Amino acid sequence: MAPSSATSPAGNRSGAQLSNTKTTVEFRAALVAMAIVALIPLGVSNPYWLGVLIVSMYFAILAGAWNLLAGYTGQFSLAPATFAMIGAYTTGLLNHYFGVPPLLGIVAAVVVSGLVGLLLGRAVLRLVGPYLALTTLSFAEIMRLVASNSIDITRGDLGLGVAGLLDSRVGWYYLFLGALVALLVLFYMLLRSKAGLFLQAIRDDEVAARRAGVNVVFWKTAAFAISAAASGFAGALYAHFAELVTPELGLIGQTGLIVSMTVIGGMGTLAGPLVAAFLVYVLSEWLRDVGGYQLVVFAALVVIFARFFREGLWGLARAAVQRWGRA
Amino acid sequence: MTLLSVRGVTKRFGGLTAVNDVSFDVAAGELVGLIGPNGSGKTTLLNILSGLADPDSGEILLDNVPCQGLTPERLAHRGVMRMFQLTRVFRRMNVIDNLLVAGRALGLGADEALTRANALISELRLDVIRHLDAGQLSGGQMKLLEFGVCFMVPPRIALLDEPFAAVHPTMKEIMGDFIRSRHEKGQTFILVSHDMPVVVELCPRAVCMNAGAVVIDATTREVLNDPRVIEAYLGGQAA
Amino acid sequence: MSGIDVDLAVNGLITGLFYALMAIGLSLIFGILKIVNFAHGEFYMVGAYAYTLIALALGVPVWIALPLAFVVGALLGWLTERTLMRPLYAGYTSWGLMRDEYAVIVTFGLSLFLINLVDKVVGPYAYRGPPLVETSRVVLGPVLISGHRLLAAGIAIAVIAVTAALIKWSFWGQQIRAVSQNRLGASLAGIDTAKASVIVFMLSGGLAAFAGALLSPVINASPDVGIFPAIKSYIIVVLGGMGSVPGAIIASLFLGVIESFGAVYISFQYRDAFGLILLMLFLLFRPQGLFGEKGREV
Repeated sequence: MAPSSATSPAGNRSGAQLSNTKTTVEFRAALVAMAIVALIPLGVSNPYWLGVLIVSMYFAILAGAWNLLAGYTGQFSLAPATFAMIGAYTTGLLNHYFGVPPLLGIVAAVVVSGLVGLLLGRAVLRLVGPYLALTTLSFAEIMRLVASNSIDITRGDLGLGVAGLLDSRVGWYYLFLGALVALLVLFYMLLRSKAGLFLQAIRDDEVAARRAGVNVVFWKTAAFAISAAASGFAGALYAHFAELVTPELGLIGQTGLIVSMTVIGGMGTLAGPLVAAFLVYVLSEWLRDVGGYQLVVFAALVVIFARFFREGLWGLARAAVQRWGRA
Repeated sequence: MTLLSVRGVTKRFGGLTAVNDVSFDVAAGELVGLIGPNGSGKTTLLNILSGLADPDSGEILLDNVPCQGLTPERLAHRGVMRMFQLTRVFRRMNVIDNLLVAGRALGLGADEALTRANALISELRLDVIRHLDAGQLSGGQMKLLEFGVCFMVPPRIALLDEPFAAVHPTMKEIMGDFIRSRHEKGQTFILVSHDMPVVVELCPRAVCMNAGAVVIDATTREVLNDPRVIEAYLGGQAA
Repeated sequence: MSGIDVDLAVNGLITGLFYALMAIGLSLIFGILKIVNFAHGEFYMVGAYAYTLIALALGVPVWIALPLAFVVGALLGWLTERTLMRPLYAGYTSWGLMRDEYAVIVTFGLSLFLINLVDKVVGPYAYRGPPLVETSRVVLGPVLISGHRLLAAGIAIAVIAVTAALIKWSFWGQQIRAVSQNRLGASLAGIDTAKASVIVFMLSGGLAAFAGALLSPVINASPDVGIFPAIKSYIIVVLGGMGSVPGAIIASLFLGVIESFGAVYISFQYRDAFGLILLMLFLLFRPQGLFGEKGREV
């Protein structure tokens, strides 16, 4: 048997690396994936496929934000698409009625959706499991009804036209990619800090976390607010990309896509949901021409992954690498 | 010097008085056994002391400052650490991270927390499993890990609820050694246990509860020989 | 009470009866597994399609198609329980912490799956089921109602009464209630909790499908038609106290009436929001519902 690590000189440092290795490996894998994504416009100039990839990045941000809340903190909200919608309407309405420039509107969207997330997170603090899912689901539906029924203000389901930001599709591509990488780095730093420990501790056992001195109220609310702000950011970017805001952004089906990507990629892993967002969305656009069974396939995959491969594609890939490494 | 003072604490659940006007003091450095038959109110009392339940009346002083009704996290920062009867660890985090959570939450820096975590891991002989997720550990290993969590920052007082129940004898020995060595260094404990030989061996003083009230508070020898204690364990009320 | 109020009250109560058919099953599932089935609306949707297609495409008489829709729903419930609910109780101890998340993901995924499957296989077009009777207008004093709706309401009352009686007095009903109260205790007492769970899922799927079939002439079944009825049943189950069948029935009628009056006197556009607001308020301030006992967490 190896000697006790406390007595070996390297004990402390190797411990430090090992306890954070998982997150770091995932971060590096995600960066590699993003680097590949960054190279795509060199070979692909078809605006349709660039558009598909831009929407994939929109979903990747949403999946990452939801994963922080559900995968790392254990707060199973069914309102991630709603916060994107709130962000989109914030900048959309500011732009439409007051001529606020898009960049300022996007900042406002982050603040507003973050604040709404803070309030909702504070309100649902004591709710767990199905109760939390139902409360956030009803919040989502109420918000969507408000957006679609306030026709005088939002023009309802017709949608609200908003100003564009960039003329070039490739420009949008790299703007979204930059936003995605920025959030990835932010989440990585957050998860590597003590916050990462606290969030996962809360997910695993709230009472034990409180016993250990973790300020559960603060961290749960913070996770909600950060996740909502990131979703609102994505929604606001998307609003100026599409130059249109509709209540459809907040449809429960959109949340369904976000959940699917996260579950298929691997909940509670940094890289899985981001990569899966691309796979799911690009594949679904591709399958659309081949019979259009894409949503059936992905919904089935969600069920199958949840049932049999709880760690998602990331978990499968890790297991494969380990097996390969041993052989 | 009195570290913890429990004064007239009462807690009712509907018609049941789970803790009835309980008073006792614990001096700094004491290791007090808290015994009593099932349903006598020991765990409820620990819940109140660790902030998981509010007393209906009475007062609790820690270092002469009232602390009843504080949340568990506030109490943890004040130095009250509680070990649960049903082990609570962070199941999807590895052993080191479990320890780091408590260390960082209680204000240690990253390096300091890691040094202490490694020291506890070897003291509790968890070296081999340090990178396993806590959910994969055996029941006894989880208990040891929970000990570690409670001592990442040595608490003012440690409240242990049945730490020896259903634990392998080897682990029991490690825990006993751990408690003894910490006690020798001046650590204060309240130890709830049904395991009388262990209580006799570890605790110089014992408090016996029955039906929510303190029956006797004396040296462990006296307590175990007291007819009221025998009555409490064998008598009608417990059944 | 003016004539229009009587009309609103009666129509609200009838809507409530259809809600109850949905909500009873959802409540029973919560009682026995402590989960919310997010695919419940799709049982309803499948029921509406089953009835419509069996009656129209196969030419089966409506009075046979109606019970067949129940059977289809029950089969779907059985399949769901056998394939997806097992991990919730079959000793996956290491899943303990994931339990709630698993239940939400897997039922939510099932819901997406069924919606999109029907969308692809049957098509996204709305189907209108054949009414049970052709009488278009029945006038009862101030109350105006279609013949089909009146008949469907009568059938719903009968089915709810039989279901409630079965749960209260039948052998399996008692077993189910025992498992709801204390799963461990019930299994120690020799009750087959797995079987209880299967029965509950079959009953729940059957009732929801039956509701969909009864309403198919009115709702124009489309793949996503189950979403709103499902949300209504979540509201009802929370109002009535999660797991309580009498609570679910009373809350269903209550919600039906509230919506009926609210749509006329408060806002037609926001008629679907009243219940959602009630749901949020209840979950935040009174999670035990109108009638439930306040539970204690240890």
